[in-house]
Amino acid sequence: MGGQISKMMNRIFGSKEMRLLMLGLDAAGKTTILYKLKLDQDVTTIPTVGFNVETVTYKNTKFNVWDVGGQDKIRPLWRHYFSGMLGQHDSVPGTQGLIFVIDSNDRDRMDEARTELTRIIQDREMKDALLLVFANKQDLAGAMRPNEVSEKLKLSSIAKDHVWKVEPSCATTGEGIFEGLAWLSNNVKVPPTK
Amino acid sequence: MDAETLMAEVMAQRTNGGSSTPGLQRQPSFSSFPSSRSPSSVSMRNDNKKPRSPQPPMLREDDGSLSSSHDSSHPPVAVRPALSGKIRSQYPANSIQNHVEYILVASFDIDRGSVMEHQYPGPISGDETMLAELMLPDQAHVRSQDWTIFFLHKDTSTEEEEKETRRQRRRRRRRRKEALKDEDDTTAGAEESELEDDDLDDDLDDDLDDDDDSSEESEDDNDPDGPPLIYNTAKRGAIVKAMAICTRHSFLHIYKPLLLLALEEYFRAPVLDTLASLYNALNAMDLSLLPKLSPLETFVLQASDAKDIFVEKFLQIIKQRKVADSERDSFPSGLSTNSAEPLRKVYAPPRDTHEFESKVNYNGIPVPIKVPTALSPETVGDFSLIKLIQTFSTPHTTQPQPFALHPHLTTSGAYTHPIIVLVNALLTQKRVIFLGHNRPSSEVAEAVLGACALASGGLLRGFVRHAFPYTDLTKVDDLLKVPGFIAGVTNPAFSYKPEWWDLLCDLPTGRMKISNRIESAPVTEGLLYFQQQGIPVSGVGGVQQGHEGKNFVDPTGDSQFMESLLQSIANRHGENAIRAKWRSWVLKFTRIATAFEETVYGASALHVGSHETDIGAYGVTGHGFVWPDENSRMKELAANVHRVEGWRSTRSYYSFVQDLVHKWDKRPVRGIDLHHQHDRLRCLRLSHDQSAAIYLALARAVEEAGTPGSSTSNLASAMSQSLTLTSDPDRRRGEQLQYDTILQLLCVIPESNSGLFYLSLGLFHPRLDVRLSVVRLLERIMEHPAGRHFWATLGRFAKLALRGDWGSKLEILSTATGYSA
Repeated sequence: MGGQISKMMNRIFGSKEMRLLMLGLDAAGKTTILYKLKLDQDVTTIPTVGFNVETVTYKNTKFNVWDVGGQDKIRPLWRHYFSGMLGQHDSVPGTQGLIFVIDSNDRDRMDEARTELTRIIQDREMKDALLLVFANKQDLAGAMRPNEVSEKLKLSSIAKDHVWKVEPSCATTGEGIFEGLAWLSNNVKVPPTK
Repeated sequence: MDAETLMAEVMAQRTNGGSSTPGLQRQPSFSSFPSSRSPSSVSMRNDNKKPRSPQPPMLREDDGSLSSSHDSSHPPVAVRPALSGKIRSQYPANSIQNHVEYILVASFDIDRGSVMEHQYPGPISGDETMLAELMLPDQAHVRSQDWTIFFLHKDTSTEEEEKETRRQRRRRRRRRKEALKDEDDTTAGAEESELEDDDLDDDLDDDLDDDDDSSEESEDDNDPDGPPLIYNTAKRGAIVKAMAICTRHSFLHIYKPLLLLALEEYFRAPVLDTLASLYNALNAMDLSLLPKLSPLETFVLQASDAKDIFVEKFLQIIKQRKVADSERDSFPSGLSTNSAEPLRKVYAPPRDTHEFESKVNYNGIPVPIKVPTALSPETVGDFSLIKLIQTFSTPHTTQPQPFALHPHLTTSGAYTHPIIVLVNALLTQKRVIFLGHNRPSSEVAEAVLGACALASGGLLRGFVRHAFPYTDLTKVDDLLKVPGFIAGVTNPAFSYKPEWWDLLCDLPTGRMKISNRIESAPVTEGLLYFQQQGIPVSGVGGVQQGHEGKNFVDPTGDSQFMESLLQSIANRHGENAIRAKWRSWVLKFTRIATAFEETVYGASALHVGSHETDIGAYGVTGHGFVWPDENSRMKELAANVHRVEGWRSTRSYYSFVQDLVHKWDKRPVRGIDLHHQHDRLRCLRLSHDQSAAIYLALARAVEEAGTPGSSTSNLASAMSQSLTLTSDPDRRRGEQLQYDTILQLLCVIPESNSGLFYLSLGLFHPRLDVRLSVVRLLERIMEHPAGRHFWATLGRFAKLALRGDWGSKLEILSTATGYSA
């Protein structure tokens, strides 16, 4: 039903399409976020072998969300997802939005997260990408708040050439997730799809 | 209990067979062998025209004596004296080559990614992590069961044949979930501890796999009656494990059920012993009664549907075994085991000689398996060409889409059939990727293996060697170093990288796409040759010449071929028939390439012995493909310019040239191109004298092969005699040569190429000497163990004609022999 309505909306208002790449350390909650978006329910996830990809329509934007496994050994593969993902017919190269997911409760690995994020965001293919950081697992007591996350990630320095935002989220309840998408949708510069 | 005894018996036979104790291999046992058979072979000649018993009866070993009463119960098989040599086994019991070389188990570790857990009998060399990654394909976490194949190539020794150095591995993985009772890891557990197990699977199956029935059907492995699984070390909700076996056999799919059982067992007992018991069970499999076939026999077997073709070889190897058994039993006869042991051994000839039935006793379960008798090169695993062809034909038929043009690929213009585009891509060594997003990796692997077989046709090599049935992003850097790979992937990220491939074949949609980054085809001498002659060359220019839409001329004949192929599939002709048709397509392509090279370059590396075939040793000359006239010849050559030129610099071309030289050395008859002469009978309107020359030549080639010493008055044939027989000291003589010559002839005329029909037309030739020669030739074929099946499928009319000639023949027989002398 929702799909039909959004199709109608597309016809009336025109819609955009946006390709998002969702990365983050292992067990940050990427797959849970993806399926919260897609199915609007919490799912029990298991470690992602490789990747998941889903198309999610929210408001008038079609999000093509790629969720790539976060084990450190497979992180070198992330770069293959940076470019060309819009398909050959699209003239816009590169990923339009990067969602970087942080386990807000895992203070020990914030340095590791920053190192990875720096490497991604400074890749040439990512130069035009919006950066949305989900400060995930906010439901846990003692979770870092968005300010602390952006400080620890040194976003003002590593992402100074990007438009970025840290969104507090809880993947299991959905809190913050759709707000994050709305922010991406409002800030993306893409021509409407034909 | 019974199974274990049987196994013990097999082991005992192995040790005996392997020993070189002279007493066990005494000559008398074999010299007695032909004498026991000869009465049966005599009686069978008389039985020839009777209908054969459809099912050879089970043979029971009594006390080892080979009485002729047993033999009379055999199907009437004309065992020729030439065949009396000992039949060798394809997989001798005393071979040092194991069926299976390694068993491996890998699992996906949340912290470390894919890791190798166990290896048996020892660690396999090479990059373990890479192997573990290959064993656990992308999105393994989404499916409860999957399998894949990959190749390990050892480049250490070039001495070994490629077949030997190639190792195949197939593996099956299965995922087990466990309830989330997670104390070890608080962060992960906290996020998930309130959730219900199984949600993910249900949701994903509904949403991702709704078009994916093939993986679902075998997916019910989380069966509730399974043992409770407790993995204390598991941090998050699933255990993903994969088991692999490493074998040199190309029929590795037969091990599938065993891997499934063993992996089940491994989840119960994740220890090295579980691997060891599978390893031992697989290697104890007895294939020693599967006879070895020559390359010619292999081809004839594959081209024939007869279920008892070459059954005499199976019977003979059983007899050999029985003789060996009785020898062994009688030698230490004092040891009393005589009473019970021999009765248990039952050897049955196969119900269908195309496959050999055996079994593997694993954990007390006898698992029946079937091993193909004849293996084609480049045929690995159990793919379906029909499935592959249908996948890409259906969308093309219902809603054709134009291809971006490339001369090597779109040989019939923008609407070239996708399967032709695929074969062209493989022949011209392009980079081909099969993508199956949300499909199990087994599906892409099957497509890759099917494509290899498609392009090979059992004739060309070099595809499997560069195939990656399943691969993922972790290996992409290595993949891209390989020129002209054929890879299967499930990750759609590959589709967004046109710089990585030349042809992308999307399995879910059944569409192919030619990369916009593909290297353009160079201008070649062949192209210029035809352009200078003003003959239109198909390919890029084709579009301007009205190839658009559906009503274009079909200079390559490919559209017509695809139509008849699809018709065959629709008429349920079966996988074998489709493979035979592809073989004929590939064969035709190589023959056109030969003619092309000879036309453009003056000589061809693809035809080895023109100096021998064109000498006219049997009264006819010429070689190669036959066209009805010069105009159609030039047209067809021109239509193939691009892909032939594209093929001429590829691996498959070079190895084909090598193979041809090798085959030529072993060719039974070299003074005549049988295929060429038969094609002339088939395609041309010949004068009576022309056709007479061909019939006489064919008959003589077969007849003279049987009598190598016979005096041939003709000088040319004396020369051929020296060329074909004496120049090669290893050349087999007499009956064996005739047997092989007939096989060589049969290879030219498989049922898909009209069988004996055109030969039998010689029975109606106006010249009596021709008719008599043809009668003689057909009789030879009838007596031939494989030829009799060809005879059986020939029409009634020709058979009657033969009989009719038969009666009047006896008196004139002397004339006929007088002619050949």
